[in-house]
Amino acid sequence: MTKLHSQAMFFQARAAEKVANPVLQRALQKAKPLFVGKRSKGIAALAEDQLEFEQLRSACVDIRNRVLSDLDVWLDIFETQAKATGAEVLWARDGEEICDLVIDVARRHGVTKAAKSKSMLSEEAHLNAALAAAGIQPVETDLGEYIVQLAGETPSHIIAPAVHKTLDEIADLFAKTHGRPRQTDIPAMTREAREVLRQHFLSAEMGISGANFLIAETGSAALVTNEGNGRMVTTLPKVHVVITGIEKIVPTLEDFATLMRLLPRSATGQTISNYVSLLTGTRQPGDAEGPEKTVFILVDNGRAKLLGSAYEEMLRCIRCGACMNHCPVYFSLGGHAYGWVYPGPMGSVLTPLFTGLENALDLPHASTGCNQCGSVCPVRIPLPKLMHQLREDQVSAGLRPWSESLALKAWAWVAGKPTLYHWVVRRAARYLKWLADDSGRIRVLGLAPGWTVGRDLPAPPGKTFQELYAARKRA
Amino acid sequence: MRLALFVTCLVDLMRPSVGFASLRLLESAGCEVIVPEGQTCCGQPAWSAGNRALSVALAKKAIVELEGFDHVVIPSGSCTDQLRNVYSQLLADDPQWASRAVALAERSHELTSFLSDVLKIDAAPGEFSGSVTYHDSCKGLRALNIKQQPRELLLKVRGLTLKEMPDCEECCGFGGAFSVTFGEVSTRIVDRKCDSIATADAQAVVGGDLGCLLNIEGRLRRRGDLTTQVLHIAEVLAGESGR
Repeated sequence: MTKLHSQAMFFQARAAEKVANPVLQRALQKAKPLFVGKRSKGIAALAEDQLEFEQLRSACVDIRNRVLSDLDVWLDIFETQAKATGAEVLWARDGEEICDLVIDVARRHGVTKAAKSKSMLSEEAHLNAALAAAGIQPVETDLGEYIVQLAGETPSHIIAPAVHKTLDEIADLFAKTHGRPRQTDIPAMTREAREVLRQHFLSAEMGISGANFLIAETGSAALVTNEGNGRMVTTLPKVHVVITGIEKIVPTLEDFATLMRLLPRSATGQTISNYVSLLTGTRQPGDAEGPEKTVFILVDNGRAKLLGSAYEEMLRCIRCGACMNHCPVYFSLGGHAYGWVYPGPMGSVLTPLFTGLENALDLPHASTGCNQCGSVCPVRIPLPKLMHQLREDQVSAGLRPWSESLALKAWAWVAGKPTLYHWVVRRAARYLKWLADDSGRIRVLGLAPGWTVGRDLPAPPGKTFQELYAARKRA
Repeated sequence: MRLALFVTCLVDLMRPSVGFASLRLLESAGCEVIVPEGQTCCGQPAWSAGNRALSVALAKKAIVELEGFDHVVIPSGSCTDQLRNVYSQLLADDPQWASRAVALAERSHELTSFLSDVLKIDAAPGEFSGSVTYHDSCKGLRALNIKQQPRELLLKVRGLTLKEMPDCEECCGFGGAFSVTFGEVSTRIVDRKCDSIATADAQAVVGGDLGCLLNIEGRLRRRGDLTTQVLHIAEVLAGESGR
């Protein structure tokens, strides 16, 4: 599936490269405690509102499960309601169809420039490249996305797209692109970006955004943002296109309010984000603002086939990013190593499901199984369990290397025969002791070189527990 | 009370002293402890690799060997998780084995949880003059809810003081095959754990899972820390480190 542009097959090589990049490591080292600390404070602050995390989690799980069990019905209701407010509702099977639909809407309205608020679906579709090829200039207006676009990169985090970049790198980038004196004062840099972006907000004929949720009962898109760019993108241009996944539906405004108790807290630790927008329909006579044309593009791109499968729980995801923020693997690599749109634990599940099991063989294994992700997920997605299921699917589909399968089979065969097993382990204990230096450390382990790239192996004493225990019993 | 000690394959091969320490702790609490001779490995490596058939075979083997005891005690959170939580999932659809898997699960305990929650021991035979810091292993903490038990037990050891490290609940980066397949990533993760341990400035780092401990000790030594001891909690509680 080359059209998905996935680089996930190169995870292992890229991972080693990312670990060895000191600039990236500095950026990640700085970001991690912020994410973890802020979330933990945000969750603790629930008590101030007499709310309890586990109860809220259960409520959020119920809402998401209710939608997923009748997704077609809720989508139908949403479509009817949205059309009643004057919006157009379109459906896209995959990324290519997203691009075709957006370009078609743009052509119908004479659009030459599109201002974009953050949309991971547009990353799934590689929409920016398609727009540019069609002669339409896409401008990312979320600060992080803007930085990433200037650098010609892709986002490395779903809510902090430029988390992999250091202040210095961004200062260089701004000086080069904006043609202004280089500055490293963050508020001044933000002001500079704001000034540049303002021109785009005013001149773009089309605004493109995602949606955190779609509210079925009102036909609205809910947008949760912090920078205010989302409001500009969705109200200033004459055409507003919302691109979102079909699983983003929630039945009612009240359900949305419940989910909002946990979404910002899980993502950034905020009790509520700076902006929460509910976008309903087009500008009506007498309205001060709003687009003349609103188009919803509701996208499948691999989602529908997860309904009723072993992976359905993944569709509960509300894209808060808490799983990656608490992942020891993510924070050792950043997001680019994962090779596709979604990094971290959610990516290790979604990438193989959306782009093909065979195109992301490492990802389900790129986990220590620590379950730090699952224990913070606001909708209790059992991410390690889903990664495990993917590993089993790889085995069933014959996608593991024959050497691995053979080694496992041989080992399990021996482990099933205690006498033989104990003989082998005794030999192994002697061998490992023999490999060690005088201080009891094994510096190079030929059988498992991955272990000794960064560690010694503390050597065993040379006799196994079983043989020592047998000797003790005899004595 | 007649119980089986499942020493784990890693302890059998890499650090027998953990097995002897566990034996001593259980026996000094008045238990009759049997070490079933046929025990090999709980099968976690196969399960973790996604190989269901091999994991099922080893699960059945373990059930047959261990189901005749009042309790099964295991000096490892991750192997206990395999017996307590994974076997019953693996065998849920097999009418002949499902109930046997559940019965074994209910009787299987991680060592510190057994000493603290079941035996409720009020003294530990060990002695340790100095400070230790405790690393919460992931399976023990998040799959079995083991958090206070090891700390309460450590405080019963004469002469021991407990110094918490920052981020003691963070993964050490071991993850079984992960540590070999993704050696560089695993090293980066354990490096952060070593930083936390250094911050705690204790004489020893203590944990309940030998995999984590080999990983941590290996990285500490490679980094040039030759003095911080790395001990299994059974060794500290029993005063039997053998090293």
